[in-house]
Amino acid sequence: MPKKERVDGERLRQEVIDAVKTIKNGPQVLKLYMEMCARCGTCAEQCPVYYGEPTKLRNPVLRSDLIRGIFKKNETWTGKILGALDGAGDFNGDMEQFVNSFYECTGCRRCATYCPFGIDNSVITRKGRAIADALGYTPASMQRVVDISLETCNTDGASPEAFKSAVEFLEEEMQDEHGIDIKIPVDVEGAEYFYVPPSGDVLVNPEATTGIAKVFHVLGMQDKWTMSSKCFDGANYGLFTGNDADMKADNKPYVEEAKRLGVKYMFMGECGHAYRIMKMMMEKGKWWGDLPFKVINCMEWTAEKIQAGMLEFDKSKNPMPVTYHDPCNFGRSCGIVEAPRVILNAACEDFREMYPNRGENWCCGGGGGLSAMDDIQEFRMNVSGRKKMEQVRDTNAKYLATACSNCKRQFMQLIEYHKADFQVGGVHDMLSRSIMIDGKAAEHIDYVGKMD
Amino acid sequence: MDQLIAIGLPYVTIIIFVVGMGYRFRSWIKTPQPGKMTLFPAPPADKSLLWPVIKESLFFPKLFKADRSLWIASWIFHAMLALIILGHLRVFTGLFDRMLAGMGVNVENMSATAGGAAGIVILVCGLMLLFRRMLYKRVREITNFSDFFALLLVLAIIVTGDWMRFGEHFDLEITRTYFAQLFTFSFVGMTLPASGLFWTHFILVQLLIIYIPFSKILHFGGIFFTQTLIQKS
Repeated sequence: MPKKERVDGERLRQEVIDAVKTIKNGPQVLKLYMEMCARCGTCAEQCPVYYGEPTKLRNPVLRSDLIRGIFKKNETWTGKILGALDGAGDFNGDMEQFVNSFYECTGCRRCATYCPFGIDNSVITRKGRAIADALGYTPASMQRVVDISLETCNTDGASPEAFKSAVEFLEEEMQDEHGIDIKIPVDVEGAEYFYVPPSGDVLVNPEATTGIAKVFHVLGMQDKWTMSSKCFDGANYGLFTGNDADMKADNKPYVEEAKRLGVKYMFMGECGHAYRIMKMMMEKGKWWGDLPFKVINCMEWTAEKIQAGMLEFDKSKNPMPVTYHDPCNFGRSCGIVEAPRVILNAACEDFREMYPNRGENWCCGGGGGLSAMDDIQEFRMNVSGRKKMEQVRDTNAKYLATACSNCKRQFMQLIEYHKADFQVGGVHDMLSRSIMIDGKAAEHIDYVGKMD
Repeated sequence: MDQLIAIGLPYVTIIIFVVGMGYRFRSWIKTPQPGKMTLFPAPPADKSLLWPVIKESLFFPKLFKADRSLWIASWIFHAMLALIILGHLRVFTGLFDRMLAGMGVNVENMSATAGGAAGIVILVCGLMLLFRRMLYKRVREITNFSDFFALLLVLAIIVTGDWMRFGEHFDLEITRTYFAQLFTFSFVGMTLPASGLFWTHFILVQLLIIYIPFSKILHFGGIFFTQTLIQKS
């Protein structure tokens, strides 16, 4: 169900050119990127997509040139005079190539980490996607997620009833595991913490959520937090389609719900891009003015409690080698890298790093929303995810923890596709399996297996 | 015609460069940036960005981590360039000579050794950058004519410069007089250096300086903008 009318022909050509021309008025970063790339090729070596298959169009510089060339042709003297000799050229009308290219960049920002000028190709990618979006060219698989989320406030299109029964199921499971009642409060006005996970952490890999519930329980704060049966999915695909209006429209109900509940903290779950939007964009950019609450992240919060000695673990519950994949949005874009390691080191017997890591980590290959696009699964398995598979295999880990539903989905598919021998899950999942409640840890139940 | 180029062009060059770069800086400063673009690890919000940005622009640590061979070629290239620009100040003014002589340094020897070495090293690095463009697929496929043009222009300047240093006898005094006259706007009865090599070198340099504000070489100014943008937390 495409929202917008598709534009084509001469009008399409003109609209693309006009949209690129507006870059001269900002944003500042984008304008700088148009004018100062030295074309040294450093980014190509750091790009997971180019690593996966170094074809010409997958070179980050040439992908960005789809926009930079048009900008040069229309807005720079050298481009006007030298034309193609300076890499300048007007839009060639090939919208398919334009869209496919920008949906082959995972927006992981690894190029920006290594570019001597700090050029962040993900900004250009997002501009390209925004141009495509405005002209009705967002891939159907992406647009569907945006539309469902705008309609239902979650990307799975799940109803409040479905959510509530999932939560009840989790409470029963925790009852089985520990023999006591551990609550997951829903719609409680006046709570302090409003837990906003990705919907996957309730519906697909729910152990992260039981982990959070157990931490609140152990701290005696079981009535201090709540979830919302309306707003239980921080995922926001407006970031990925480049549509700022959609991104803000998707975000608004969450802020309103937090205000309605009267909480002190918007307590973000294990979802990198959701936290980035809430913390780095919404809160810092004051989208909705001054807020009566603070945006915090569950991993930093739990890590603090661990470091304060408030939680105890039975590490023998997690004897297998465990590694951590830094989701790009948590690592490079939000700087949350130590907290998940504190949790995993506390909860597991054999935590091992993969290299490189933290801000230098390789993308899983499903970033920028690509993980949700089944139409490009082959590409994600063989090209964008190739480096990641090599990196994980080198660790010999049997469990890969990561704090991002999109990364998890990509890994699950990679494991199946490449017949790899490891499991994937969240960070609080490991905590959930080994945290001690009343002196003992859970009798482990394989939720994922059970829910299938 | 000779007079026009000898006396007119240097001023035109300076004006185009200053106005051109001024225009660029102004347009960057005035372009709005909604939202920060922080890339972690980034210095904490309350810390000054001065040192991180200086470090980045003086030592290229990101490139060091990413591509060691390119770092070697480009860092040495830029460092030698800085050294050579300093050395040229000696050509423009006798002040350096007097200061150094006052400190008991043999100016001619030092200039011949350091300047000569820098001239050779930068040539090697420049050639490395050129061959790199042709050798590696990932660089070759993104290289336009304008990228080769910038490199070849710089290399031509280096070669003519080295030629003057190592080739024919170079009359420093007359060159110095010429620049002194340019600086003081004393055009009457101007003495012009006779060396054709000098004029080739000098005109190419001016071409490069004019080209900077319009080309990617403006990265020497832009780096301060992009670095502050992504390191702000």
